[in-house]
Formats: sequence, structure tokens, C-alpha cells
Amino acid sequence: MSLLLMAPALLLLLAVFLWPMLDYAWLSLQAQTVFTGLKPVPVGLANWERLLGDGRFWQDAAQTLRFAVVSVGLELLLGLAIALLLHQSWRGRGLVRSLSLLPWALPTTVMALGWRWILNDPNGPINGVMQSLGLPSLPFLASTQLAWLAVVLADTWKTTPFVALLLLAGLQMIPTDLYEAFALEGGRPWQGLRRITLPLLRPYVLIALIFRLAQALGVFDLVAVLTGGGPASSTETLALYAYLNAMRFLDFGYSATVMLGMFVLLLASALLLVLAQQRWRGARP
Amino acid sequence: MINTIASGAGPTGDLRLEALNRRIAGRQILAGIDLAVAPGECLALLGPSGCGKTTILRLIAGLERPDGGRILLAGRDITALSPGRRQVAMVFQSYALYPHLSVERNLLLGMELRGVPRQRRQQEADRVLSMLQLESFRSRRPSELSGGQRQRVALARALLRRPQVFLLDEPMSNLDAQLREELRPQLRAILCGGEAPVVYVTHDQKEAMGIADRIAVLQNGRLQQCGTPQELYASPANLVVASFIGRPQINLLDRGDGSLLGIRPEHLQAVEEGGVAVRVLSREWHGASQQLTVASPHGDLRWITSGAEPINDQLRLGWQLQHEHRFDLDTGLRC
Repeated sequence: MSLLLMAPALLLLLAVFLWPMLDYAWLSLQAQTVFTGLKPVPVGLANWERLLGDGRFWQDAAQTLRFAVVSVGLELLLGLAIALLLHQSWRGRGLVRSLSLLPWALPTTVMALGWRWILNDPNGPINGVMQSLGLPSLPFLASTQLAWLAVVLADTWKTTPFVALLLLAGLQMIPTDLYEAFALEGGRPWQGLRRITLPLLRPYVLIALIFRLAQALGVFDLVAVLTGGGPASSTETLALYAYLNAMRFLDFGYSATVMLGMFVLLLASALLLVLAQQRWRGARP
Repeated sequence: MINTIASGAGPTGDLRLEALNRRIAGRQILAGIDLAVAPGECLALLGPSGCGKTTILRLIAGLERPDGGRILLAGRDITALSPGRRQVAMVFQSYALYPHLSVERNLLLGMELRGVPRQRRQQEADRVLSMLQLESFRSRRPSELSGGQRQRVALARALLRRPQVFLLDEPMSNLDAQLREELRPQLRAILCGGEAPVVYVTHDQKEAMGIADRIAVLQNGRLQQCGTPQELYASPANLVVASFIGRPQINLLDRGDGSLLGIRPEHLQAVEEGGVAVRVLSREWHGASQQLTVASPHGDLRWITSGAEPINDQLRLGWQLQHEHRFDLDTGLRC
């Protein structure tokens, strides 16, 4: 009976999750390129062997990880600061709270195009300001050192409001009488931040972390529009690499292999995260 | 041992509130409150919700500032001090225990903030834990405790503050009725009779009478009367106090001469002749007592009498002159 009631959900999961996965697993064992006339030809583990030795795959994996860790870290720090600010009561708070959500509400493609113009060398407003100050204009999107920071900047700008909103919800769940009791015991406000706010915000930080990491590790649209993975693949992510293999190189078998490789890496990092969290929880203060 | 814990906070003395005023958004929350509580005395602030009793507590704690008046503790003006510097301990209605810390850490945190040496902290916490029979719960989180246990932890934390005044904000309101009755004498034994004044906020007159040395009745931000439970019961200063103290509520009969006659339900008695003729409308039998509603020419009356007495449907009720209370119909004041 319970199985019957769960059946619709299970079927849906199977249809949108397991079936494509199995299809990809099968595809990763085929060669399906222009040379095979775009027809699948079984090649055994050839794609997987290629993946293990593919420097571009591993470089993209490292770049994806670097992007995710730096941008999610920044978003958490900035988001926490903004949430704390919005949690105080001051005039015009409601307006600022609504306005601060705007970047998050913009479609990623639109805001990525916007940032491409803002960061344009030499015609974008940022370089305009730099030039009027007598500074040289910077090739934000054309430099292998700067381009990934530009991606981090755009992503942070867009998703910090989401993190801030989540943490603000968490802050509002903390009863004010805890702070009052704390003050009566002689605690100072900054001590309250460390002793009460941060520990009680932990579940919300974890949720934000999991949501954001999952999104950032699979980032595609922002990079595709802002830099296209360039210059010299310096901002290319795994999702973009898989896309390029299928849609540009027309190598569907290898694209599926890259996808699955990415899936395995994500699964491993998710497991690590869960383990770390359990250890964190186990250490009760 | 109880007293050694509650004391040791330096000189203790009485708490005095002088002409306290508080307005919030143009609304007068408190108007000219004068009260004094002696060391070791327990004063209950009694009144309906919204009467300002919790505001008084928050003003004493420093969580709010008065718009007028002074607060003196042991002769020192503390009106402008921050909450942390007042040496005041408060038991919140919600208990306000830190949910992420064990019982023991809940107790240790305050002492750590105040710079008590580590070894002393542990000693003190152990002592209070054993005094309140909380030892076996020391490593539990507040969410793993029952309501009564949480209240004891909140009390333990207040004791460790070694305060110059104890404040309790409806500490029983989250507990069931039976537990409340059990805890009342315990609470009294722990807090009252020490060296610090105790201010206890409640809306339950039974609780106030059971725990307090004196009761201050408040309504609409004004002090109605302050006195011992016996005083308030025997000679209520006005209609508010008369109807707030004593259950079931006092009967009020219109005399037709601009005054009301108050007779408590327990002071009515069946008489052979004289008194007023009444008809029983409803009965509740409680074992030791029975509570009746009767119709009289002056309106319906509440009557409480011994449960052993058989009551006819028609009878006459009278009362002794000494039990009459008279109030002015316009001002509500005793006359």
C-alpha cells in the first residue's frame, strides 16, 4: 500500500533522474561522432580511459572547484553581513530589503550580458572611471588572471541576495529574549554574535552552503555568456566542457563521459560535506 | 545553603521605584508607579495582560528605559545603567535558555562572561545543579527537558547571577496546573527570604496570593493597590482589586443610592429568615465545596458553600455586616 502511494513520486524520479543516468552510462561506452556518422558504435571503456588522461577535464575540474569555493565563500560572508544589517531596524529597511533582491531576480543570461558591458575593455563604465582617474584600463575578460575573478564577481553580485535572505530568515527565528537574557548576564553585543547568533544560524548556513555549492559546481549559463570559457579555457567549467564536447565537437559519447565524471566528483564532494557536517554536529559544545 | 547562594553579591538592599512613567508610541503604558520591595521580600505584580506589569519588570532589568521616574537598588540610582551592570537576574516567561548549549554550559556561560575564575565557575554550577536536582540533566539540551526542568535551569541561572534583585516574568505560565501547585512552595523556598528583593509577575491571583508577601494590583498602567494578600482580600481599595482578588469573583449588588455592595461568594450563607429570597440556577459540586449560581432580586449571585450541605432550589441567603464592601458607583473607590 505504501509503495503504491509512493509510486507516482518514484516513477517521476526514475523518469527524470535514473533513466537519463543509465542512458548516459550506456552512451559513455559508445563512440558517437562525425567519424561514426553520428551513429553509436560500442568502444568499451575507451572514453573513460581518455577522461582519466584528459588534462583539460582535470584543469576544468580544478577551475570549477576554485570558482565554487571562492564565490560561495564570498557570498556567505557578504550575505551574513547584509543579513545582520537588514535584521537591525532602521528607516527604509523594507525598501532596501526589497531592492537588494533585484540582482537575484534578474535572469542569469541578462545579468551576464550586463556585466560583459560593464567590464568591457576599454569602453565599459569601470574602465571609464579608471581612465578618468588616469589609471590604465584593465582587460578583465581578456586576461587569464582576471577573467575568473570577473566570473566570481558577477556570480557573487547575483546570488549574495539569496544567501542574505536565507540567513535573514534564520536570524529572525532566533528569539530576542535570548539576547536579553545574555545582556542581563553581562554579555556584550559582539559576544552575543559569537555565542548566540552564529551557533544558532548554523543550520541556515549549511542550507545556504549546500544550495549554493550545488549550483556553483554545475555553473554553465553565467560562464557561457560572460566569457564563453575563455580566454584560453581559463574560465571553462566542467558543465561547459561537456556542452562543448557535444555541441561543438559533436562527440556525444565523450560528452556523456565528462558528464558522468562530473557527477562522480560532485557526489564525492557532497559525501565529504555530509561527513564533515556530521563530525561538526557530533562535537557538541 | 540556599541563602549562601542567593547572597554574596555585595551589599543588598531594597528596590524602590519612584514615579515611573513609560509611553510607547504615544500610549501611556505606565503612569506614576511608586513601589518598594524590601530585601528578601516577594512582591507580586498582578493584573490582566496589557496592564503594564511586564513593562515594570523590563524597566527594572534595564531592557527598557522609563520616560520618567527613577529606579533605586540598595540606595543606588540604576535608572541609566545598562542591563549587564545592574546585578539583576530575570527568569523569562519562555525561560530563554540557550538552545544550542547543554544545561551545564547554559549555567557556565554567564559566569564566564562576568570573568569568574574557571574553577569557581564549575564549583558554583555543580552546587546549584545539585541544589535544584538537575545533576542528571547537566549534559542535556534544553529541548530535551520537560517544562518543569527548564524552569529549574532558568532558576539556576538566575541564582548563579548572585543578583541584587530577582525578577520573574510569569515563570509558571508554561506549566500545567498540577505542576504549578507543586512548584510554588519550592520557588518560594529558593527565592524568598534571601537577601535580594523578588519581583514576581503573574496574572493568576491564586499564584500571587500563594507566593507573594505583598501584591501590587495593576490595571491600565496604574497601581490600584499594594498590600498583603490578606489586606487586599479584606479591604480592596476599589472595584478592580475587589474583582481581581478572590475566586469566584465577588458579587456586586446595586444599592440604588449611587453605591455598590460587594459580598464575596464564600460569605453568603443560607438563613431561615431575613436576607434575600433566591432560586438556584446552576450547581457545581467540587467535593469539599459546591459552587452555585442563584437568581436574586438584585441579579444573579455566585455562592460557594460546603459540599456536605444539601441545598434546596428555593431558599434565603444572608450575610454578616462585617463582610460587606461598599464602592462608589462612579469612581469605583471603596467608601
